[in-house]
Amino acid sequence: MSGSRALALAALAALAIVPWVLARHQLSLLTDLMIAGLFAMSLDLIMGYTGMVSFGHAAYFGLGAYASALILLHFAQPVPVALLAGAALAGAVAVPVGWLSTRATGIYFAMLTLAFAQFLYTVAYKWRDLTGGSDGIAGVPKTQLFWGGPSLASPNAFYFLVAVCLVLSLVLCRALVRSPFGRALQAIRENERRFTSLGRDARPFKLVVFVIAATFAGLAGALFAPFRGFASPEVMFWVFSGQGLMMVVMGGIGTLVGPIFGAMVFILIQEVLSSYTEHWMIFTGLVFVLIVIFLPGGLVGTARRIVARG
Amino acid sequence: MGNVLEQLLNALALAGLLFLVSAGLSLVFGILRVVNFAHGVFYMLGAYLGFTTVALTGWFWPALVVVPPVVGLLGALLESSTLRFIYRRQPIYQLLLTFGLALILEESIRVLYGPTAKGVEPPALLQGAVDLGGLLYPRYRLFLVVLGCTVGVAVWLFLRTTRAGLVIRAVAQNHEMADCLGADVARVRTLVFGAACALAGLGGVAAAPMTTAYLGMGIGVIVDAFVVVVIGGLGSIGGSMAGSLIVGAAQTWGAFYLPETAMVIMYAVMGAILVFRPWGLLGEEE
Repeated sequence: MSGSRALALAALAALAIVPWVLARHQLSLLTDLMIAGLFAMSLDLIMGYTGMVSFGHAAYFGLGAYASALILLHFAQPVPVALLAGAALAGAVAVPVGWLSTRATGIYFAMLTLAFAQFLYTVAYKWRDLTGGSDGIAGVPKTQLFWGGPSLASPNAFYFLVAVCLVLSLVLCRALVRSPFGRALQAIRENERRFTSLGRDARPFKLVVFVIAATFAGLAGALFAPFRGFASPEVMFWVFSGQGLMMVVMGGIGTLVGPIFGAMVFILIQEVLSSYTEHWMIFTGLVFVLIVIFLPGGLVGTARRIVARG
Repeated sequence: MGNVLEQLLNALALAGLLFLVSAGLSLVFGILRVVNFAHGVFYMLGAYLGFTTVALTGWFWPALVVVPPVVGLLGALLESSTLRFIYRRQPIYQLLLTFGLALILEESIRVLYGPTAKGVEPPALLQGAVDLGGLLYPRYRLFLVVLGCTVGVAVWLFLRTTRAGLVIRAVAQNHEMADCLGADVARVRTLVFGAACALAGLGGVAAAPMTTAYLGMGIGVIVDAFVVVVIGGLGSIGGSMAGSLIVGAAQTWGAFYLPETAMVIMYAVMGAILVFRPWGLLGEEE
């Protein structure tokens, strides 16, 4: 325990000093990685802790991005308002989708979430007046921290905002999975039939965690829009949902921290490969296949096994 | 009146194509318990190989005969070299493995064929239109209707009446029991996976003269095929037929009457069906 606490403190210290260590473009890449990490971590809540594989998680990231972009662009509110709105919209849309999808289990659940996500993607694509269609919404500003407060336009300021969001979300999610509610989720993952036969109804638990996960994904999306300066339908596309699943598996299912690293490694691999070859997707696919076959525990799971073997 | 008939035939032609893809997806799920994300890429591969065959021979018919076995062989090879090792794991790993395979295949096709779409000339016999009591209708679409029906009946008869079909159904019902009774489950899985890929390849060849062979066609079709099997029920051939007809009709009429919202209609239909039967029209409750 003290070992992991020391690790956590070291990570926090590292997060605090990197803006003075890294070059500007490296800091920007790190911010990007952390946003993806937040997205992957939110997916781990339903995938790793409840055993519900959603193939449409990108939709909630996208909803957060669009809500945030529209509010920042048209109403010039402080960024945290946009973050709350993005998270709230994603959570609100997840209620009916989750209500319908949790009627099914296993692979049917995955396909239902995929279908609803594609539906939302189509809406974003077709609703030109609101979303700008395939062009998306460009020129999203990084406004202030609060009304009349300091601007978040500098890379350092926005980096700290993302870092604080990521750390707070991680702390909240850890508390959630260790709470009685979180224990119930893990009981559902291990054996849903037994959970039901003990007199509990699994569906309300699944619906609530689905909405919570979507809310955090919406937060990640709401950070993404001002950071990149745009929101476009691509962030809602199923490929991004699939990549999210891969990030979680790569880092280690059901570890929360693992998916954050998984997302970072995933994007770094793409960055490196795409600087060498135009056809990096072949190699990404190859890495997927190899990891799935040879590293089922992901990076964190495998590392823990090595440490335990000592 | 002519309009209604035309829309009906369009719906049937689209349903024929959708069936060729979704039948394999459903079959693979029934036997292997794997949702094959790469299935759409095999459809795309079929279309591109169809283009190559037509370019080499100058005829369309050889493509229809040669391409499906080639695609099927590739599918069987991929199954026995990757998927075979991870059947014991949770379904998510198999899904991700096929996701990886889809990326590799899609990008390989881009490397081999380049980014531009490849048109395929339909055979002379199927060019032009046929007069259906005052309605001029493209012959090629009628051919798609016939092809979809023929393959549907053939697959159904194969599964119901032959000994191989019996073994496949046994593995689908309980693979451990089938194994105990002497069925070679690993071989059944490889053959079914290959056959499903061959069906997708056939769908791709058949689609190419209508849609051309283009990058991204696999992704487009796999999402539609998912909707089809979710509506019809995974693992059920009859369900694939019913689902294909429903999706074909929803897309055709949607595109005709409400062009902006055609996709929305398809998902609305799916949502409505799932509220009442979450496991699909003809699927079995898990």
